[in-house]
Amino acid sequence: MPSWIDLIIRSFVFLALLFFMTKILGKKQISELSFFEYVSGITIGSIAGEAITGLEKNMFQGMVAVIIFSLATLFADILALKSKSFRDFIEGRGTVLIKDGKVLEENLKKEKYTIDELSALLRQKDIYRVADVEFAVLEPRGTLSALLKKENRPLTPKDLQMKVPAEKEPQTVIMDGSILDEALRSSGKSRGWLETELEKLELTLDNVFIGQVDSYGELTVDIYDDKIQVPSPSLRPLLLASLKKTQADLEIFSLETEDEKSKAMYDKNAKLVQETIDKLTPYLTS
Amino acid sequence: MTIAASVKQCLANMKGIEAQLSSLAINSNDEDTQGVFHDSMVTISSIKKDLQTRVLELERLEPQYKG
Repeated sequence: MPSWIDLIIRSFVFLALLFFMTKILGKKQISELSFFEYVSGITIGSIAGEAITGLEKNMFQGMVAVIIFSLATLFADILALKSKSFRDFIEGRGTVLIKDGKVLEENLKKEKYTIDELSALLRQKDIYRVADVEFAVLEPRGTLSALLKKENRPLTPKDLQMKVPAEKEPQTVIMDGSILDEALRSSGKSRGWLETELEKLELTLDNVFIGQVDSYGELTVDIYDDKIQVPSPSLRPLLLASLKKTQADLEIFSLETEDEKSKAMYDKNAKLVQETIDKLTPYLTS
Repeated sequence: MTIAASVKQCLANMKGIEAQLSSLAINSNDEDTQGVFHDSMVTISSIKKDLQTRVLELERLEPQYKG
């Protein structure tokens, strides 16, 4: 057998083998979170490389070695799931580098990190002042996780005591002009509904590149022809506007009428509409 | 525009708002959101009833604007 055919066969065999081994080991192996996976990842790679190009050697030896390394990693992963102490030993634990806003020099020395490296890691997280950090951990992988002091953290709606509506993930229901039934079902809509919505936008299905349904059940589309303007959903802002108009109308009626009973009725209802507006504003503006 | 006519118009607006809230309540995925829209719809519906009574009263007082 000519060596180049051998090479092609070996390449495909190892490609398939590595693919299946990585499938079995899962996403953890790809992210190389622990020391063990880091080492086994590198080793499996070089064994495969060696076995493919080392044509004078038997290919099966290489395959066995790859399988052993993969199984050892898999076994270590399973054991790590069961036992905390084994996990700490195999995967390592994070080292606290900054606590209560103070750098722990002892731990820094233990991990053989210099001040420069620490500040470089902090800068990657857009932190330029060590004093801004409340707590920082060096993860086993070698990345730094930092918690900023409360006053330096980005402002959230919770900080402002704002009420924000809950939002579900948008579902992509149309892709490349074809309907994805599974996504349509999980957003609780039917094909009939989708056809009506498309008709409202004056589009046909094959014009649509992407169509997504958000948690309010509104359909947003991207179409192939970028010159055509598709109206964006404006039902909710319009609804808010007409609520405001009705509220104003009711107040005007209350001012214009001379009948005391009707005046009270208009006043009461104007207040009710105002309350409804306040309640609905977060849902109708976002 | 007479008062009766503008109250009628407002009533029509209310009906539209009620229908839109109802459709939003049905189409939303989140249960809390559905609840908020539904509650608002019930409120609007009660206001709508008040207005309807008032329209009837106005029609009785000013029969020339009936219709």
